[in-house]
Amino acid sequence: MNNFKAILLTGVLALGMGACKKSFDPATTIDENDALTTAADIETATIGVYALVRHGNYTLSGHFLKEFPSDEVAQGQISSNDYTNTYRYTHLTTGTHSRLFWTQAYLVVSAANKIIAAIPEDASAAQRQLKGENLFLRAMMHFDLVRVFGRPYTQNNGDNPGVPILKEDLTDEQKLTISRSKVSEVYAFVIEDLLKAADMMTLKKLVFASSFASKQAANALLARVYLYMGDNNNALEFANKVINSGDYSLVQGGAYTNYFKAVADGNKETIFAIHHTKLQDQVLASIGAFYYSGDASGTALAKGTNGWGEVMVSRKYWLALDSTSNDLRLGFIRPYRVNGVLQYNPALSPQVPLYYHIKYSLQEGIITLSSPVYLRIAEMYLIRAEANAKLGSSQLALDDVNLIRQRAALTGAKLHTLASIALAGKSVLDVVLEERWFELAFEGHRAYDLFRNGRSMVRNYPGTHQLNVTPVNINQTVLATDNRVIFFIPETERAKNPNLTQNP
Amino acid sequence: MFKSFKKTARVLLFAFVIQSAFVNAIFAGDKDSPTGVVAKIIKGKITDEKGQPLAGVTIKVKDSNIGTSTNDVGEFFLDVPEKAVLVISYVGFETKEIEVNAEANFTIQLKQTEDALQGVVVVGYSTKKTKYLSSSVSVVSGDKLRDVTSTQLSSLLQGKAPGVVVSSGSGDPTDGSTILIRGQGSIAAGSGPLIVVDGNIGGTYHTSDIESVTILKDAAATGLYGSRAGNGVLIITTKTGRSGKAKIEFQSAVGFNEATTGNFKLMNTQQLYDYHKTFITPNPAVLNTNTNWWDLAFRKSMTHNYTLSASGGNDKTQYYVSGNYYMEEGTLRANDKTSYSFRTNLAHKLSNKLKLNVLLNSIYIKDNYNPTGDLNGTGGALYQAYTNMPYDSAYNADGTPKDPRTSTWYGRDGHNFLHTMQYNIANARSLNFSGDLNLDYAITKQLSFATYNRVTFTNSNSVTFHDRRSKRGGPNGGELHNRFSYTNVLLSSNRLRYDNSFGAHNISVLAVGEALQSYNDFLATAVKNLPPGRPYASTGTESISNPTGGKSEYSFQKYLAQADYNFANKYFAVASFVRDRSSRFGNNNSSANFYQFGASWIVSSEAFMSSIRPISFLKLRASYGTTGNAEIPDFAALGLYTLAATASYAGIPGAAPSQKPNPDLTWEKQKAANLGLDISFFKRIDLSIDIYQKTASDLLYLKPLPVTAGYLSVYENIGSVRNKGIEFNLTTKNFAGKSFTWETNLNMAFNRNKVIQLNDSAIFSSPGATQPIGLGHDIDEWNMPVWAGVDPANGDPLWEKIITDVDGNKFITYTNNYNSVATAQSRQFLGKSAAPKFTGGITNTLAYKGFSLSAFLNFVYGNYVYNNSRFFFDNDGVYDSYNSTVLAKGWTRWEKPGDIVTHPKPFLGGPAQGRSNQSSSRYLEDGSYIRLRNITLGYDLPGSILSRFKLSTVRVFISGDNLWTGTNYTGTDPEVVLSSGSSTFRYPISRKILFGLNLTF
Repeated sequence: MNNFKAILLTGVLALGMGACKKSFDPATTIDENDALTTAADIETATIGVYALVRHGNYTLSGHFLKEFPSDEVAQGQISSNDYTNTYRYTHLTTGTHSRLFWTQAYLVVSAANKIIAAIPEDASAAQRQLKGENLFLRAMMHFDLVRVFGRPYTQNNGDNPGVPILKEDLTDEQKLTISRSKVSEVYAFVIEDLLKAADMMTLKKLVFASSFASKQAANALLARVYLYMGDNNNALEFANKVINSGDYSLVQGGAYTNYFKAVADGNKETIFAIHHTKLQDQVLASIGAFYYSGDASGTALAKGTNGWGEVMVSRKYWLALDSTSNDLRLGFIRPYRVNGVLQYNPALSPQVPLYYHIKYSLQEGIITLSSPVYLRIAEMYLIRAEANAKLGSSQLALDDVNLIRQRAALTGAKLHTLASIALAGKSVLDVVLEERWFELAFEGHRAYDLFRNGRSMVRNYPGTHQLNVTPVNINQTVLATDNRVIFFIPETERAKNPNLTQNP
Repeated sequence: MFKSFKKTARVLLFAFVIQSAFVNAIFAGDKDSPTGVVAKIIKGKITDEKGQPLAGVTIKVKDSNIGTSTNDVGEFFLDVPEKAVLVISYVGFETKEIEVNAEANFTIQLKQTEDALQGVVVVGYSTKKTKYLSSSVSVVSGDKLRDVTSTQLSSLLQGKAPGVVVSSGSGDPTDGSTILIRGQGSIAAGSGPLIVVDGNIGGTYHTSDIESVTILKDAAATGLYGSRAGNGVLIITTKTGRSGKAKIEFQSAVGFNEATTGNFKLMNTQQLYDYHKTFITPNPAVLNTNTNWWDLAFRKSMTHNYTLSASGGNDKTQYYVSGNYYMEEGTLRANDKTSYSFRTNLAHKLSNKLKLNVLLNSIYIKDNYNPTGDLNGTGGALYQAYTNMPYDSAYNADGTPKDPRTSTWYGRDGHNFLHTMQYNIANARSLNFSGDLNLDYAITKQLSFATYNRVTFTNSNSVTFHDRRSKRGGPNGGELHNRFSYTNVLLSSNRLRYDNSFGAHNISVLAVGEALQSYNDFLATAVKNLPPGRPYASTGTESISNPTGGKSEYSFQKYLAQADYNFANKYFAVASFVRDRSSRFGNNNSSANFYQFGASWIVSSEAFMSSIRPISFLKLRASYGTTGNAEIPDFAALGLYTLAATASYAGIPGAAPSQKPNPDLTWEKQKAANLGLDISFFKRIDLSIDIYQKTASDLLYLKPLPVTAGYLSVYENIGSVRNKGIEFNLTTKNFAGKSFTWETNLNMAFNRNKVIQLNDSAIFSSPGATQPIGLGHDIDEWNMPVWAGVDPANGDPLWEKIITDVDGNKFITYTNNYNSVATAQSRQFLGKSAAPKFTGGITNTLAYKGFSLSAFLNFVYGNYVYNNSRFFFDNDGVYDSYNSTVLAKGWTRWEKPGDIVTHPKPFLGGPAQGRSNQSSSRYLEDGSYIRLRNITLGYDLPGSILSRFKLSTVRVFISGDNLWTGTNYTGTDPEVVLSSGSSTFRYPISRKILFGLNLTF
């Protein structure tokens, strides 16, 4: 009996005290000290940077900021989502999307900086390729930040407040108290990174090539950056580099009408797109959910059926694109009709017609899945056209415009000649910008194309931008010099770092 | 004797076969066989002081092995030798010795021991007499707790003990509430108290099995829990059997629940139409429909609560076995909670020196959530009840719920929960088990050793199913989300105790070694494209996202020593030292030491007090000590890269930075001092007063960073916060007649909080937040732009804008531009905090013959609630596609120049300058309230009727919870989670009427 008790007691004691481990290793995380030690680690961490780019705070919120100030979209009903303020030019300093976008862009830059710092200049080609990719992503973020929060470069030659430049060699203290650089300084930094990136990226990926940064992606972004600066010679040069690389071509016919539905890769059009796999469907938090409500075959259904369907193609764009033509780009628009009768959102007076579009829907047959395209070859032709138009090479400009129009199945009189545009009272630049509008609609270009060229945003169609007066006035004109052409620096960030000055 | 083991075994079988086999195996070794010369047979009956027979009393012949125990009616027979001395012992009673002379027939009365009469309290690692305590402790008995009907202990504790502030964010029966003891002393680390069940940290319990709850508040009491005691400790003691006749108890309550709506009213169609007409042109066709979405979302629902228990035993073995079924339907449709609980508590003396305790508890819980929300639970029936427009009809002409996708829908979101509810499912199930095996061994008379060991398992899984026929499930052809998780906690606590007395000097010394280890893993999957009505993963054809899974582990180790000294039961002193270690902290700071002191003096035991007759008891207490707080995530100190699908790209695995390192991260420490006074007058009035000061230093906080730092935030020890306060508990026996009694209890607590130090001489820890943790301010104080009402000239909203002139003087101007006031310059501390100035409860209990009436009110005063959902339904036209609230009492709307009003001119989308529904002091409301938490009328049937049916007690009662609330708050319910202080789409608390019947056999 006593023996039994003794055994029991010792047993219990041993069980209790001996079994405890003193420390544990994390299961789904790694210590940062071990995260960048080998070449394979750096590759894994680079994938992580792309994943940060894919995050909705950059893709969705960034899309709202870049696209919704345009005249190709119409909000049919006031929403409590902060994107409403983006659409109506009623920005708040505490706006959700400007905050999320700012936050995510700098998280990407910070993650890229760790890798940029970890790879020496004389590393292997594979490592230099990765460094180049990170430099590209860093430049891309700074460029997006400076165009959202800084005035167009063409205003005052960039001598306006831009955004903080976050380099890899800043101390912790410098990062916490960083101030805004000038727009011109940010552009210079972006160009420097991109030139370096283009130089370092020498390898071509065999699969998913356009899901990753590449030499030509860097050249393409350079073309855009120079165009935004009004440096037409460089814009022309870098657009040509991409076009002449032979890596890309305009996809034609059915491939074009299905272009936005297909996986971002495996076609010659895309230069860089933000890859979403089938397991990364964002459902109601996807870009497409705001534009399209319909079934997986592309047939429009009532708003709210399979997506919010509350930001429509504007009546202005629909009419401008000429619904009577055979323009293939009409296929991206899906009006919701019941028994042939166009339906409207009943919330406003006048009502907004339910014109959906599918540039961010239906990838691989999944309604709300898409891999947003950041750079594609059509834009390079249009950059070249705009540069040529500004440099006085009018015919070359029209040739590129017509190339885009022919791809959209327009022929004959639908193609421009110097005579036809003169007759229509348009300049070459007018038709280039118009073609950019038609071709690149909903891809976040329109507002920048107008404002950087000193042109006004004219909204003369039903939407929540209308003024609350009687009779209702649906016209809204935003001058390129308007304060609200750009966004407020997020107030929460200013509270944490008082060195960040606010935009007027 | 073996007979009683068999009885025990039967009881055990009821719960767990394995356990019973184990117990039998132990018992099998302990057989007595009677020896000695038989001289005569005696007979006897043993009763308590009131003459009630006692069953299971041990009768032994001194210095022999001869013995027996009493039967169910308290009788015994025994063969005894000549000149025997009987030793009669029974738990809870004084042992008695009786000489056997000529008589052969005995009637013996036993006296209850002092312990049983005076109340003992379980404090940490020991049990003490209440009157000898040196620390601040509140005890609430199980019966007092269970006047309110709930399975949440926090809900039962609300208002019952001073300084214990309970606040609930929801009336959802599947939701818990939070408990805060003596103010907010922590931010990022958890602020809830440590739960100790039956002597060990953690464990499971069901409220129906609670014997008492002890709340340890000051450092002298909580200190033994060292690093985990910073927020106070709740000690739950479950019921045990008493030796004696088997007692079978059946308790039942059934009732109805209804949502409370307070001062809140939504518009009907006509009201909304008339309002809309003032700023837009609504379609007159909307007047054909008038849907009350609130009424469609809520219902009159039911609560069932049944407990069946059996308890009893003899002096060697006592048992308590119980089963409980609880089902509460939420007042929101398709929302309910069901639980089944079983408990077996078994105590057995293996020998005179060795005592065994086996406690087994398993609880199964099924929660059904209203399944109409989005993935993150928002946008469901609750949200729609507040926001859906009366313009939209809920039903088709044929009476079926309308599908918003196939018709014109005015509401923004196009949701009809009635349609979704037909198909969708959202639930969670969990199985919790805990088993304790405790042994107490008396090595010598003075020295004892105890080992307490527990294993706790929790398995839980959840299912969310969006049927393809529902709007939410439509895009993916149906969605199914499953999550499984498993947790186990192993704990062993080993204690050595020494007690001795040297004349009037009494000392006791305690040494404890303890270790705890927790392991958790989980797996979650999401599939799509399922046939309608088949919420099973196998029927899906594709994944929605990658499955996720992982594990987490942590451990604690602790050593402590405590010495207790008292002189003549008049002067008391206690001192303790604790060394703690946790895997949660970095290797450099993983251990910490804590110490505590306490002293008390029973003044009324002094000779000079005997002349002061009105004071029947007087004690002074003082304590000081340190504790800590370890409730932070594992690996908070490390710099981390996340390895997860979220960090993958194009199907390739990746790793992204996720946590900034802070190698200096250390424990949050608390220093607490307490002074207390317990006084009784005329043995009728009991008053306890405590004043305290708690200072938490090295506060752990997830400090927000400018994102240019590369991270959104970092775990830091940011500074110190001090809580000081006073609390009292007053019980008066107002009337104590033979047939009528009336007792009143009032408890109140006043707490003041102040941030007294921040690192780097910062003014805020979280600049720009609405509760930014400002130096010199209450930790929960609100800071936001100040609403300045409405401009009488044009109906614009106005805010206070702070301007600095050239001389640096600040003055206030008014502006209608919100952007210009949402700045560091113009945000202001309002002197209003989310924390109440005082809280408390008052209970009146009246009894007349068999009737009893108790009424319990709890109150919260001086806190401010941010009524966040006014953003949606009180926004002056910013959103026209949500329903609106009817203006509350005293609210007026601008109509023409010169109007002095509270509400601006409505404007669709809001004026470009600034929308009146943005974060400002406008939606900050006084959250004070007083609530009739419970009123119960009961009747105990008289004994004459009972004996006829062989029942010992029958009680019937009717009880009402939350029947009345007094408040100025304009929302449905002023109660919020007090530290956050923000109320968003509140699920209001239920008003319940319950009918009950309790039977004891």
